[in-house]
Amino acid sequence: MYELTGIRKVFAAGSVALEDVSLRVGPGEHVAFIGPSGAGKTTLFRILNLTLRPTAGALVFEGQDVSELSDAELRRVRTRIGTIYQQQNLVGRLRVVHNVLAGHLGRWSAAAALASLVRPRDVAGAGRALEQVGMPEKLWARTDELSGGQQQRVAIARVLVQDPDVILADEPVSAVDPSLAVSIVTLLRDLSHASRKTLLMNLHSVDLALGYFPRIVGVRDGRVRFDLSPDKVGPELLAELYAGHRDEEQELEQLRDGKNPFGAACRPLPGFRK
Amino acid sequence: MARAVAARPGRRAPLLVGAGLAALLAWSWQGTGVDLPGLLGGEGLRQIATYVARLFPPDLSARAWRDAASGAVETFAISLIGSLLAVGLGLPLSLAATRTLLYHGILFEGRRLGPGARTARVTLHAAGKALLNLLRTIPEIVWALIFVFVVGLGPFPGVLALGVHTGGVLGKLFGEVLEDVDPAPLEALQATGAGRLAILVYGVLPQALPQFVSYALYRWEVNVRAAAVLGFVGAGGLGQRIHVAISLFQEHELLTLILAIYVSVTLVDALSASLRARLV
Repeated sequence: MYELTGIRKVFAAGSVALEDVSLRVGPGEHVAFIGPSGAGKTTLFRILNLTLRPTAGALVFEGQDVSELSDAELRRVRTRIGTIYQQQNLVGRLRVVHNVLAGHLGRWSAAAALASLVRPRDVAGAGRALEQVGMPEKLWARTDELSGGQQQRVAIARVLVQDPDVILADEPVSAVDPSLAVSIVTLLRDLSHASRKTLLMNLHSVDLALGYFPRIVGVRDGRVRFDLSPDKVGPELLAELYAGHRDEEQELEQLRDGKNPFGAACRPLPGFRK
Repeated sequence: MARAVAARPGRRAPLLVGAGLAALLAWSWQGTGVDLPGLLGGEGLRQIATYVARLFPPDLSARAWRDAASGAVETFAISLIGSLLAVGLGLPLSLAATRTLLYHGILFEGRRLGPGARTARVTLHAAGKALLNLLRTIPEIVWALIFVFVVGLGPFPGVLALGVHTGGVLGKLFGEVLEDVDPAPLEALQATGAGRLAILVYGVLPQALPQFVSYALYRWEVNVRAAAVLGFVGAGGLGQRIHVAISLFQEHELLTLILAIYVSVTLVDALSASLRARLV
């Protein structure tokens, strides 16, 4: 699916966000990315969904070198990659139905897109997507009247309408409360499992990553530190990954003491049992 | 890792700026020949009182009524059509004056624009800004003089003058609103593969629309006052009749016309406020 070789990203201000990132992700794989805040995970996801250009290195999507695509081809490839953000990625003043149908924008002509704002096309499809995320009654609500967790589910419904081959979820649960976090992660996992989609997720919480993903990539200071199955990710490795980041170290300590913010809903973590 | 607390920045700069402003104020006072004793001293005050007394009573004859009413309607119409023309002119120009829609910012981080395309867009942006500045910096009354010369006397040159000047003002304001919208939803739309036009109508305009409406209504209120003045150079409305009344020393009719301005401006303010409450 993805083949990254020596990806480097330097921002205009001169800060290096990513350094020599090489990674292969096969079709249908589920991968969680963990690491301290500021490690470059979001930058990596923006490169993966083709809205940010790497400074150097090669990004190959389905055998195609992305840097060689024309504008039209780039748009076509983007329709196959769905992104869910941490928050505030919806247009608050539009009704839910339009935010969900925005998943079609990569395929619709400009005229069709415009017409749909007046008289929504594919209302049935939007309704089905909202049913899948468990809030069909909000189809005609104004988006900014929904809670944070509800808005996140609208964003997931938009990705369902887009029906991509890859789902990128960038910290999809750090803005919602813990009980909802587990249900959103499992929802995304089950949905992509059922339709054989590739799922890449940035996660702030180590326990969600280790509990729900078969492959864990640790990122720190813009570099991939490890790429392992969760049973190989032990406390020492995590302590090293988060060294110097006090908040996250405290969370690890709680995990080590057998506590986790997601309670019984989250599977027990083997390496951390006392 | 202990780091030193930042020192408080120096405080000399505000004093210097204050002194500079005071000097500028004194110089301007001198330069404009402000003469308070002359205005408020015995002679000046007496002249004001005499002129105001001569205005009364307002002329309430049928002819004066008709004149004031038709002038007020014409002024209202000039302000309304002129403001709509301004929106029609300012909106497309504001798109050309918005960097974030042409070559800069979140929508342009996924792919480098070719050097030719980039130069063309930077040029378009500069040209759009320059045109808006030209329209905006020339006052309505000067535009009205030009249009009276081009299309002749009457309300039509007034409409054109308001449309062109206000088009420049709204284009600049709309452009600032467009550059200020939250980029996060635009990024998300772009990531679905949406094209520029779809991103504009789904992401940018819904965020910008309330402020567009608010600015347009505010400029309409400004324009109904401006429309009353444009008549002085022959561009129709109450102003034209006021100019005649002053020139012919018809003080009683002048008062009627001033009252008509008061009523039209108040009416438009109320109308605009109720529209704003409904739409924004």
